[in-house]
Amino acid sequence: MGRKLLLEHAKVPGIRHIDTYIQHGGYRSVHKALKTMTPDEVVEEVKKSGLRGRGGAGFPTGMKWSFLAKPEGIPRYLVCNADESEPGTFKDRYLMEYLPHLLIEGMITSSYALGANTSYIYIRGEYRWVYTILVEAIAEAYAKGYLGKNILGSGFNFDLYVQPGGGAYICGEETALLESLEGKRGNPRMKPPFPAIKGLWQSPTVVNNVETIAAVVPIVNEGGDEYAKIGIGKSTGTKLISACGNIKNSGVYEIDLGLPVDEFLNSDEYCGGVANGKRLKAVIPGGSSVPIVPAGLFYKNIKGEDRLMSYESLSDGGFASGTMMGSGGFIVYDEDQCIVRNTWNLARFYNHESCGQCSPCREGTGWLVKVLDKIEHGKGATMADIDLLWDIQRRIEGNTICPLGDAAAWPVAAAIRHFRDEFEWHIKNPQLAQSKNYGLVKETVYQTV
Amino acid sequence: MKSTLVDNKINMNGSSLNGQKTEVKIAYIDNVAYEIKDGETILSFVKRNFGKDLVPTLCDAPNLDPFGSCRVCSVDVALQENGPAKAQASCHTPVMAGSYIYPSSDRIQKLRKNIVELVLTDHPLDCLTCEVNNNCELQEVAAKVGIRDVRYPEGKNHLDRKKDLSHPYMTSDMSKCINCFRCVRACDEVQGQFVLSMAGRGFDSHIVKGSEVSFKESDCVSCGACAQACPTSAISDVFESKSIAKAETTRTICTYCGVGCNLEVATVNGKVKSIQAPIDAEVNKGHTCLKGRFAFSFYNHPERLKTPLIRKNGELVPASWDEAYEYIAKELTRIKTDFGPDYIAGISSARCTNEENYLMQKFIRVVIGTNNIDSCARVCHSPTALGMQRAFGTGAATNSIIDLKYTDCIMVIGANPTDGHPVTGAKLKQFAMKGTSIVIDPRRTEMAKYATYHLQLKPGTNVAMMNMLLYYIISEGLADKGFIEERTEGYEDFKNQILANDIDELSRITGVDKELARKAAMAYASAKNAMSFHGLGVTEHSQGTYTVMLIADLAMITGNIGRRGVGVNPLRGQNNVQGAADMGCQPHQGAGYYDLTNPDYQKMYDDFYQTDMPKHIGYKIPQMYDASLNNKLKALWLMGEDNVQTDPNTNHVKAALGNLDLLVVQEIFMTETAKMAHVVLPAASFLEKSGTFTNGERRIQRVNKVVEPIEGTKPDGQIVVEIMNKMGYPQAPYAPDTMLEEISKIVPFFAGVKWDELGENGKQWPVLPDGSDTEILHIDSFKRGKGKFHNADWKESQELVTNGKEFPYIITTNRELEHYNCGTMTRRTKNAEILTEDVLLINPIDAAKHLINEGDMVCVESARGKIDVKARITDEVLPGILSSTFHFPEIRMNDITSSVTDSDALCPEYKVVAVNIRKSKGKYKLEKV
Repeated sequence: MGRKLLLEHAKVPGIRHIDTYIQHGGYRSVHKALKTMTPDEVVEEVKKSGLRGRGGAGFPTGMKWSFLAKPEGIPRYLVCNADESEPGTFKDRYLMEYLPHLLIEGMITSSYALGANTSYIYIRGEYRWVYTILVEAIAEAYAKGYLGKNILGSGFNFDLYVQPGGGAYICGEETALLESLEGKRGNPRMKPPFPAIKGLWQSPTVVNNVETIAAVVPIVNEGGDEYAKIGIGKSTGTKLISACGNIKNSGVYEIDLGLPVDEFLNSDEYCGGVANGKRLKAVIPGGSSVPIVPAGLFYKNIKGEDRLMSYESLSDGGFASGTMMGSGGFIVYDEDQCIVRNTWNLARFYNHESCGQCSPCREGTGWLVKVLDKIEHGKGATMADIDLLWDIQRRIEGNTICPLGDAAAWPVAAAIRHFRDEFEWHIKNPQLAQSKNYGLVKETVYQTV
Repeated sequence: MKSTLVDNKINMNGSSLNGQKTEVKIAYIDNVAYEIKDGETILSFVKRNFGKDLVPTLCDAPNLDPFGSCRVCSVDVALQENGPAKAQASCHTPVMAGSYIYPSSDRIQKLRKNIVELVLTDHPLDCLTCEVNNNCELQEVAAKVGIRDVRYPEGKNHLDRKKDLSHPYMTSDMSKCINCFRCVRACDEVQGQFVLSMAGRGFDSHIVKGSEVSFKESDCVSCGACAQACPTSAISDVFESKSIAKAETTRTICTYCGVGCNLEVATVNGKVKSIQAPIDAEVNKGHTCLKGRFAFSFYNHPERLKTPLIRKNGELVPASWDEAYEYIAKELTRIKTDFGPDYIAGISSARCTNEENYLMQKFIRVVIGTNNIDSCARVCHSPTALGMQRAFGTGAATNSIIDLKYTDCIMVIGANPTDGHPVTGAKLKQFAMKGTSIVIDPRRTEMAKYATYHLQLKPGTNVAMMNMLLYYIISEGLADKGFIEERTEGYEDFKNQILANDIDELSRITGVDKELARKAAMAYASAKNAMSFHGLGVTEHSQGTYTVMLIADLAMITGNIGRRGVGVNPLRGQNNVQGAADMGCQPHQGAGYYDLTNPDYQKMYDDFYQTDMPKHIGYKIPQMYDASLNNKLKALWLMGEDNVQTDPNTNHVKAALGNLDLLVVQEIFMTETAKMAHVVLPAASFLEKSGTFTNGERRIQRVNKVVEPIEGTKPDGQIVVEIMNKMGYPQAPYAPDTMLEEISKIVPFFAGVKWDELGENGKQWPVLPDGSDTEILHIDSFKRGKGKFHNADWKESQELVTNGKEFPYIITTNRELEHYNCGTMTRRTKNAEILTEDVLLINPIDAAKHLINEGDMVCVESARGKIDVKARITDEVLPGILSSTFHFPEIRMNDITSSVTDSDALCPEYKVVAVNIRKSKGKYKLEKV
């Protein structure tokens, strides 16, 4: 069992409250950073830790922080992206719900490092009760002097606000989030300029995921080098994984990066294996937008090596045979699940959430749904429709302002890539497909289109 | 440009690196190297080298920021020659040095085709019956990318969306919308109105007006920027402006305000069909207001005057031109012989061309032999001309509107540009939303709502307000000593006088908080570049000229003169009010502003016109009225001005005009003034003649005849020429090119102006003999040598001193966007359906005091008379202050305004009138027109 740097005290009764949190070592990083370290030293520790963004892209956090422009006389902002909306991902909710002060502590320490005197937590609108928890926790932190003027006598002034979103997945995209935070319609912005140069209110801004900011706490407490000792290669530290689907034990797990996927899926300490004795069909290991992989390609990469829960190992083979770590939304499909139906369902989600700004995504996601609906529901689809699907997703991917287009395209691409015969079976047997599932893949199909 | 190393190349900042070899940034298009310009996007880079047609676009528009949403402009970008490429939206991606751009690779062509195909799945394919058929950007792009069929089956679509035909001008048919956001961006970025926005998400996203209301119900100001920006016919106008092919258009200049917007007027069968704003116009870059774009239908209104009229037995009866000229010539000759030339006067029009104004003053001076010539500049910016001449030596805007791009702070004094000068107003508003702005105005105008500092002073206290600002600039040590030392004179005395002011007293007089004034003064003085703009709220006061001089002082004391982004910039009211003065339509200065009392200049004029020119200063407009009432004036010639309605104190004006032996009025409609005339001459409108207008930034632009004059009418210039001929003076027929030739010989700053060389965007005077023009005045020295500081102490308006006790309220007059002056033109268009009446703005406290409810008729009474006007209760005005317009003459607003004028320039004080109010008993209630 790996170390729990984030969730160690998650189940301690009363840990939501600041006194209990402090009794269990809370706010040590604030004391350490504000009293004994310069902001640059904190940034240095984060760089040393090798921490990578936990929101999905896995960009090195220390490097992102060092891009922040620091022009004279212009405020800087840290914005916490708590707009966790990716289907299958619920780790941030768990962290905020159980350990609100861990996030607040991370926000204080990180904002100190970045020189931000005002920061925001932009939380998914549907997480209303978590919002309340955070608001209460922030009030406690103000009362204890961890927020407000001259924190711990260090001269550092810091205000923290929570802003609930309006219920749009797109606002999890960092620039759409900033637009929404400014009170505007949540449409993604063009880049450049990047938020590090012109972000919130046209000022330099860092946008980090909840888990990323929380991870700064153990990094500051233990030191970046200590943190970097956990994990494998460039995947350092621990990672929260929210596991769901056809497994025995759904839930949020903190794992050491580098844990074999086999162990994560099948050991009782984590998922406990596929539920009800069924066989594994496929896995989406990083939230619904990352490519789905069939069981064969999940356990081992194309070279036959065991896959590990790490950024590098999961993406080994590229999109042809690999997938991504993503946000850690681990979704498991057993042999009874229909890939066409699942793809149709995901396509509906992205179509619903497309902001409508870029024409390929606005129109393309709609047509993905229409064509998939035809195949799934036996409405006279032909083999040419599979090619049409492929064509549409190719037009969307990489051709939009924000990555939502990619997120919508990838699941369709991967499904066709690995489960083309299942699509063809649907088209050939429109009646049968209404009542029966295709079942397991006969043999692993590697198509590298 | 294929080499990478160039000697002495100008580097990206424009500074030359002496003798060093500087690397020029290059990128490749289809493997050929081209030089990159700083800040270029891939699209602008490709366009610059290959023209605008190589890369198709949908969401991109020339006057909008890049948006990157349609993705049709995608190009392949690789890091190595023929290397692995990534599709990037070229419109907003900066071109990267050393990158390889493939604008039309097979992959890209396929991508574009597919995107357009997707867009077409939700667009009606009824091109043949569509308003923009053959003028549709979507159609053009679809043809360019080679769409032959759409592979997608019938699906859910938005083709059944309802049309919005609620508005007198704007229309929408959202079934044609392709969600390119161009209208939304035009509304935001061009006009700054924020009426249009995108609602819904993804496939459901759709354009809405306001909170999903119709155009009519929304806050739309009908500028038409969205319609012009729309690539399809989703948003258009009732004139179907976008259905017009380029070949059927004529470019000319708007006749309404002093902004001088260029218009592209489309004609069909000799009739005006619609108006668009040319994108390449320097003044308005594809933007106009609803007056310029839509309010043109007055020109062939059935009420146009079409025949000369002569008063016989008290009635105006139709006559031939010959009869009319005969009558006028006989009367003028009689009066000139019996009484002398000084018993005759002319009032020229700032609505007419430079050439016509020049002819008018020439007629009065050379043919009649008097300096009794004035123009409507008298009632608007005469104090500006006088005040700025005293301070700088030139009475015109020192800078250009484009300088807004280079300034750090704007100060808007007594001007309401979003209503009065809408295109410049929109630019000022855009600036105010982003930068530091100071608005000095008794009303909380639209600009004031966006301002960083709004100094809401009491009307008539401008001088005290300026003294407060100057006081703080000096006392806070923000005076620019270097500039003052080097460029100005009279500072020491001025400084002492300003510092002698009792700042608390000034604060009491103006009603403006000291601290707010101090902050505003510091913002203006400490900005790197600060520009001031002023309007009639400065000039139409008894201390108008003094206020202008103090504004000039503010610019000089802070060194804000003589470079980009600074200066004193009067927002000239009428389309050619600058030109009317330039041409000499004023009684104390001839063409080119030469002093008529100076013997040198007298000789110059004598030589030029080869006659003995009148030598003494003539009457200004208010003096003409007094002279008439004293029987010192017998004949008055009015060219295109409705003095009865627009000059203050109507009864006084009517009495004066009624006392004349001869009143000649050149007009396009039967105005209140024309009704009093002895002879009415039907003139042509701006669409029916050629010439030049000079806008508020000294830009001389070509007015080109769009249609032939309505039958029976003649251009004003031709009428003046014909009467000159009739009176024995050999003046050649009216033609702008020959007239400009004559003007360029006598008006020094027109020296290099030639009709054929003015081009589409005109030239800003002074235009040197070699034809080069001038964007910024007073760069190295002032016209008068050193800039002169003038001090002035505040003095209560005589109107308030005399009548303030009995009439405790102050009414100040203002303008509304939809109408122009007394509405002679705009009320004969559908603008009258958008704004239907004048209202009285009244503070809720005052309304409550007099038991006045919203919409009640209020009787407003001054020492001159009383009127009834409908109340609009608003906090735009402070308690004790009222405001109204005189666009609707039936209200007779000028019955109550006073004859008090500016002490020096005699500009009427429209802005401070002592009145009392009560809820109307109905006695004076007017029939609804």
